Amino acid sequence: MSKVVELCGEIPQNFEKIDFSSNPNFVFENDASYPARQLFDEEGNTVFVNSFIECDHYVSGGWGFSPVLSNELFLIDFLTYAVIFLLVVTYSKNFFKRLIKK
Amino acid sequence: MKLKNNFVVYLVIVVLLVAPWFNSSADQIDYIPELSQEANPFYEINPCKISLFEFFNANRKSLYQDHYFFRANNKSSISCFGKITGIAVQQNNLQTQFFISVGTNSLINILLQGSIWLLLLGFVKKSVLKVNLENYLHNIAILFTAYLLAFSIYAQQRFYDESFYLLDLNKNSSYILMFLIFLLLTKNLVEAYLERTNQLINMLPYVFFIAGIFSGYNIVLFSIIFLYSGICSLLERNFSGKFIILYLSLSFWWLINSNGSFYFNPGKFRGFTNSVYEFNSNLFWIVFFLLLLLGIFRELKNNAQYFELSQFTKYFSHSSSIILLTGLISSNFPSLNFFSYYYLGLQRNVVELINPFAFDEFGIKISWRGISPSSETIGEFFGICLLINLFDIVQKSKLEKFNYIGVIFSGIGLYFSDNRTSIVIIFFVILFLFIKTTKPQLFIQVSMQRKIILFALFFGLLYFFFQSETYEFYSESLISNSRNIQYDSIFSSYLILLNNNFEQGNVLYYFFGFFSAIGYLLNRSEMWGVFFARYNPTINELFLGSGPLTLGQLYGEIKIDVLTTFLLPHSSFLSYVVYFGLLPVFYLLYRLFKLMRENKGNFMFLSLSIFILLNVFKNDSLNYFSSFLLYYFLLFIFNKRSFSTKKN
Repeated sequence: MSKVVELCGEIPQNFEKIDFSSNPNFVFENDASYPARQLFDEEGNTVFVNSFIECDHYVSGGWGFSPVLSNELFLIDFLTYAVIFLLVVTYSKNFFKRLIKK
Repeated sequence: MKLKNNFVVYLVIVVLLVAPWFNSSADQIDYIPELSQEANPFYEINPCKISLFEFFNANRKSLYQDHYFFRANNKSSISCFGKITGIAVQQNNLQTQFFISVGTNSLINILLQGSIWLLLLGFVKKSVLKVNLENYLHNIAILFTAYLLAFSIYAQQRFYDESFYLLDLNKNSSYILMFLIFLLLTKNLVEAYLERTNQLINMLPYVFFIAGIFSGYNIVLFSIIFLYSGICSLLERNFSGKFIILYLSLSFWWLINSNGSFYFNPGKFRGFTNSVYEFNSNLFWIVFFLLLLLGIFRELKNNAQYFELSQFTKYFSHSSSIILLTGLISSNFPSLNFFSYYYLGLQRNVVELINPFAFDEFGIKISWRGISPSSETIGEFFGICLLINLFDIVQKSKLEKFNYIGVIFSGIGLYFSDNRTSIVIIFFVILFLFIKTTKPQLFIQVSMQRKIILFALFFGLLYFFFQSETYEFYSESLISNSRNIQYDSIFSSYLILLNNNFEQGNVLYYFFGFFSAIGYLLNRSEMWGVFFARYNPTINELFLGSGPLTLGQLYGEIKIDVLTTFLLPHSSFLSYVVYFGLLPVFYLLYRLFKLMRENKGNFMFLSLSIFILLNVFKNDSLNYFSSFLLYYFLLFIFNKRSFSTKKN
């Protein structure tokens, strides 16, 4: 599943990507059938989008961060290191015991 | 280090028990309203913010009122651990019930539950014997055990998809993390166990108190020890060659036959059943079962010398009292019910039936299961506790304090569980012992002539019963239940076989009719009827089975009519016929009868074998790890052992 689909929902039928660079004054129109979504950037700034096209534009531009998700991934990484540390302690425990006995 | 005197260990245990449930993100919430249908939206818009203890503080009634139900949500994030993740409201007649979902992340569960159980294990006195933990075979066995456990996650992805939040089971890195966690757990658990084996053999009944099933997993803590031991047995080449060849031949058949894909929700069998009928999952459970058998055998062989009937009875009595009291208290306090489920590693929540003396509208006693997954299984446990106490009392010819505890608590527990088979067997055992010790004139001075008349009378009555319409009704009850539940024109192969034989009235008709009549008398007509409506074996599967602990094929292959409740086979005999087929099951029965014949002077072995055989026939006991382990243990320990009652 792509990040756009994950954060913005299923791609609507007949959806066409628009090249905004040719129109710097482009204004996104609200889509009444689209539930507003909150997006985050890397620094935790937030923006609300009101149409799929707007959401797609922001996510493609780097507003695809989810604080909950990144927090969870950080915690899983932390857990992995904690387990490795505990394993090292467990395995070295017997080694040190023998060393002390000697 | 003497763990008993170590204040730090007690402190760690208390912190591990309490701290996780204080985890809160409610600093921006000024007021937590009391839970009601009106206040429910507050909890809906604030998931993963309020800690469980904050919830208790705001809803003190939830600690003791019976319309609050706390449920572990294993698929919540790590940061959500110990917080309220959602609330469901349900109207049951006039009562509004609240189902409170508590975040319990599966990755944290295994570390937290594992740590607590390991610390508890540390309270058992270490043995004087030195254990060599530097042996390379020991380390290889630990590595292989951890690998096998990680493989079980891979093999049962369909089950574990529902347990993990954000852990992608399609990535190798996820399995590396799981392997490391299992390695840490196995290494510490096995080494703690090896240092205490001679004490632990007598403490086996405690596996009914701490079931040790990790929340969100299909793994029992104690099985890890036997997996390790089973691997050691293979590495040391300390096994019966015939048994291995036979098992491997059967495994080959089970694996080439694994050509379907059926999911089985483990439910109350969690920890000791295959959740997916697929090649990889079958492979895991085949290896698991082999190692388990080898492991239990190795441990019993190495430690049988430390078995003491008196110690064993003491621990049995204590565990029965703790089990009964925990069940009674937890069923009355929803909060404790949740903690019991989590910290004892139970298959399912403690029973919510507050009154263990309750009767239904027809005046039939409602069975009470306490902390156990099944009332019949806990009834068997209490029944065995009574038997063991009886053996101990007869052997010592005196009563000790723990005998009183055991007899009183297990007697009450047996009544609550309403396991009538156990009650009847115990009654007969006591009667037999009474006759044997008092030798009343009536029983010993019956002449041969009278005996012949009595036998003739008995068989005459039996003959008339078999000819009666009542017996005809009994003998057809099973097949009529199967026919009722069968869906449209879909028939299981076994039901077709039965239908054909019933029409022809041949040998199978009489054999199955007798089986059906027994089923009717044991109140098993419906359950076994459903079983036969589902059972769809090929000829090979009928004789050789589908693989150990695998019910997925049985429950997924044939569609039957919609049932109001999910019904398990309610017979370990039938379950094991599904697993191993008729040939191995009948061979095992033959071996058991042979053992009984060899032990005909061993009253304890005979009583226990009969007790186990009858209960196993009508209950799912052998599908629970704790019962499987206890029965294996009892048959091994009491076999050819002289706890003779002659001198007393």
